Amino acid sequence: MKRIRTFCIIAHIDHGKSTLADRLIQHCGGVEDRDFRDQILDSMDLERERGITIKSNTISLDYEAKDGETYQLNLIDTPGHVDFSHEVRRSLMSCEGALLLVDASQGVEAQTMANMYLAIEHDLEIVPVINKIDLPSADIERVKEEIEEDLGLDSDEVVLCSAKVGTGIQDVLEAIVNQLPPPEGDPDGPLQALIFDAQYDAYRGAVLLVRVMNGEIRAGQRVRFMHTGVEHQVEEVGLLKLERVKSESLSAGAVGYVIAGIKSVSEINIGDTITGVEMPAEEAVPGYRESKPVVFSSVYPMASDEYLELTKALEKLKLNDAALIYEKDSSQALGFGYRCGFLGLLHLEIVQQRLEREYDLSLLLSAPSVRYRVTMTDGEKRWVDNPSIYPDPGSIDTVEEPFIKASVMMPDRYIGTVMELCRDRRGENTSFNYLSVGRVELTSEMPLAEVLFDFYDRLKSTTQGYGSFDYEMLDYRETDAVKVEILVNSEPVDPLAQLVHRDKARPRALHYCDRLKETIPKQQFKIAIQGTIGGNVIARSTINAYRKDVTAKCYGGDISRKRKLLEKQKKGKKRMKMVGNVEIPQAAFIAVLKTDSD
Amino acid sequence: MPETGFPPGNETEVPAGLYIHVPFCSSVCPYCDFAVTIAGEDRRAAWQKALHAEALMYADGGWAFDTVYFGGGTPSILDLERLADVVNGLRSALCINEKARYFLEINPEDASIRRIRAWSDLGFTFASVGLQSPDDGVLHFLGRRHSAEQGRLAIERLKEEHFRTVSADLIFGLPGQGPSDWRRQLEAVIQMGVDHISCYQLTIHDGTIFGRRRRAGVLREAPDDIQADLYELTHAVLADAGFEAYEVSNFARPGHRSKHNQKYWKGVPYLGFGPGAHSFDGTSRRWWNRGKLRLWQRDIEKGRWPLEDAEDLAAADLAFEVLMLGLRQSDGVDLKAVECRWGVAVIDPNRLVIERLVDNGLITVLGTRIQPTMRGMAVADGLAREFEV
Ligand SMILES: Nc1nc2c(ncn2[C@@H]2O[C@H](COP(=O)(O)OP(=O)(O)OP(=O)(O)O)[C@@H](O)[C@H]2O)c(=O)[nH]1
Ligand code: SF4
Ligand SMILES: [Mg+2]
Repeated sequence: MKRIRTFCIIAHIDHGKSTLADRLIQHCGGVEDRDFRDQILDSMDLERERGITIKSNTISLDYEAKDGETYQLNLIDTPGHVDFSHEVRRSLMSCEGALLLVDASQGVEAQTMANMYLAIEHDLEIVPVINKIDLPSADIERVKEEIEEDLGLDSDEVVLCSAKVGTGIQDVLEAIVNQLPPPEGDPDGPLQALIFDAQYDAYRGAVLLVRVMNGEIRAGQRVRFMHTGVEHQVEEVGLLKLERVKSESLSAGAVGYVIAGIKSVSEINIGDTITGVEMPAEEAVPGYRESKPVVFSSVYPMASDEYLELTKALEKLKLNDAALIYEKDSSQALGFGYRCGFLGLLHLEIVQQRLEREYDLSLLLSAPSVRYRVTMTDGEKRWVDNPSIYPDPGSIDTVEEPFIKASVMMPDRYIGTVMELCRDRRGENTSFNYLSVGRVELTSEMPLAEVLFDFYDRLKSTTQGYGSFDYEMLDYRETDAVKVEILVNSEPVDPLAQLVHRDKARPRALHYCDRLKETIPKQQFKIAIQGTIGGNVIARSTINAYRKDVTAKCYGGDISRKRKLLEKQKKGKKRMKMVGNVEIPQAAFIAVLKTDSD
Repeated sequence: MPETGFPPGNETEVPAGLYIHVPFCSSVCPYCDFAVTIAGEDRRAAWQKALHAEALMYADGGWAFDTVYFGGGTPSILDLERLADVVNGLRSALCINEKARYFLEINPEDASIRRIRAWSDLGFTFASVGLQSPDDGVLHFLGRRHSAEQGRLAIERLKEEHFRTVSADLIFGLPGQGPSDWRRQLEAVIQMGVDHISCYQLTIHDGTIFGRRRRAGVLREAPDDIQADLYELTHAVLADAGFEAYEVSNFARPGHRSKHNQKYWKGVPYLGFGPGAHSFDGTSRRWWNRGKLRLWQRDIEKGRWPLEDAEDLAAADLAFEVLMLGLRQSDGVDLKAVECRWGVAVIDPNRLVIERLVDNGLITVLGTRIQPTMRGMAVADGLAREFEV
């Protein structure tokens, strides 16, 4: 056990965590050269496409240190984006130490701080590492100062490296071995294994990733899940290399996987503790603080007969994404679905794409909403994150909405337009300061709701891609919210309903009417689209009936082709939702969330 | 492709339609996307020989015909002797009813009195004239080889020679065409005394000269709303003149519907000879010939069935086809009859759809028969997409 080190790599987004992981893996011979690819731990397609880490990933390595001993290193690479900080939190639970990476040219940033505090909260030993020292703009001295002053860490312990070029990798490995503590725990005591992640394998059922705190877990053993109380027989345990590598047992200090023939996903809670049926532990390892969702949206299957599949998909995805929360929901227009809570917009987007890709579903999402705090005239307080349960305005005393502290980093030439954007988004106390010559950080207190609607796209276009956005939750502030409903041929399309600030209601409703007009195909009758508040129409648009839709000629008996064409078009119609008698394509639900038609 | 050594027979007792594809034109029109060739007499002789051989392949299939249609291409381009040989060859090889109707597509520039008389003597009674327009400007734009005067004359002569039905093909929806212009053209054609009119909207296909011009941005189809206006106008003007819109593109004075084309639309068996021609056995199989003249010919010369592909149709496919085609015809379709003939449920699963289409004035219901209204015909594809079979 003295020769085990379990640690995670934490940092702000893009500071090079996954790239450093690559170098450590290669140095320890954890991957054959021919199998290697950049950011090898980012195994999900989505991660590779976007170039960011979404899931924490664990790998066990064997390192032969300068002292001649071979150490087992359990490395956990974590995501840097705020929306995935729950992944970091989970990973920290199973570690004794953390490598805190700082980009040599960007220096300490928001998530550097946030993640460091998380690590401290979990009593981890921290090794600061400055990465990207190969960059011409690297300013090692300045970054060291920031590490001393902003983070309060000893700059003498800083290790320098370039993950890309591969310099300093051995120093990092030595620091891991020498500065991070080995796990504690009693291999002969009662079994306590913390489940910190899981994935679903179609053949084997749930594959649990565990950190054994005390005792030992082995194949054939009967175990109990302490929170849910269910018992299972362990089928297989092993280590997490790039693939799963079976072993006899995992004992205190080890990080590995457990397969126990669990097909019913609902039996598993991430954060639960596994113990032995014989000689059970007295208590469970303290679990995680549940992360609080801030963005909400209802998810419906495009084809209503896919509801059951959506249910199963959510259960399985939840195994792999503990931050996702959901409950049954139903819509007048779309039938059954789920109301889901997300940690942010990116999280929402990723969940949607994972559901669509990994489970082959086609989905509709309702307009994202924040959670409002509503005080009723009788003094009762309610949380409302779903427009469909928004109380009657007559019974509402006050409404408060969540504010964030938004921070945008960008070249200073964009400052004017970005300030304008913040003002437009009801930003308060907007200010900026220079980070270095020509580079500013702008901060603004603004309603989270304003970020949900097309803020990223606008920011990206106003700064020509040079602006980076980050935020933290601030507080709740009073607001004047109204519920805007969208009606199509007098039928409310409830997933398009939304709570917005009164000043924004009309422009938003107009925007919806226009976008729907562009995206709903002409049908055999006229379609009236209306935006209303409390039954009063505040915006409208009309789609005229199509008048001509017929191929002139069924040429010389070539009827097969015609039939096949119509059948194909009919299939396309299945990707539409019927609201009343109007067919609304999936694209319409997406288009309304964007400002420009491109 | 299904495993079959020999072409199928007619699986019904119903007399079939016979289509002969004549793939020759004297030049290719800039909007045409049919498989045609301007090849000369040698190729035509070879085509004639292959066609006869193809007919012989079907001789024992129990096929009997009461309509024979020569389409193209330009069938009227054929040398009179050759045409006579082809017709007589078919009569000897196949079982063609003595009272069968013969249809011929005719380009105006070929319609000399001598030829018209010869066609009449051969038994042709339905002349489908590729008039396209009574207007020299339009004909020029379409790259046609005849003048407005030649067109008028062709129709006059065909009528004088007592063709039972004289039909004119017209094209509308040309760029810049407006309602008054189109009305004038329609009226001019009605004046000529035709009994039948087929009106096709100009469609620009990729791979044609018009297609290239569209890509270059110098040519565009008329906008949807204008097309719809012109289409509605067509119905109004022709209805006033006593023409019945019996199919989305076809208008006839009483007694002058195209008996041959109706076979395609009513699920009756038909055989097609010549490159690219389609056939249907009346119950479950449709097949079509190789489209390239050379390939079609080579297969036949080697004694092979010149099949491009075939399709086995399930009952639901057939029912949907009859429904889809029925929605293109003023007769509509008797849903009960479809259910009985193909054994699939059509009425129950579509009750709501039918109700809605009636409410929207797109179809009418008469017992178990549904019929498209004029507005319904204009969106017939859309109607068919609504139905579940
Ligand atoms: N020049 C230079 N670039 C580096 C270095 N390390 C990483 N990068 C680059 O920085 C970018 C981000 O690297 P990643 O390893 O994906 O960063 P990350 O911290 O894992 O990012 P997230 O997982 O999304 O938080 C990539 O383009 C890397 O090639 C380095 O030492 N020098
Ligand atoms: S005459 Fe008819 S078939 Fe021949 S090229 Fe012109 S449009 Fe095509
Ligand atoms: Mg990463």
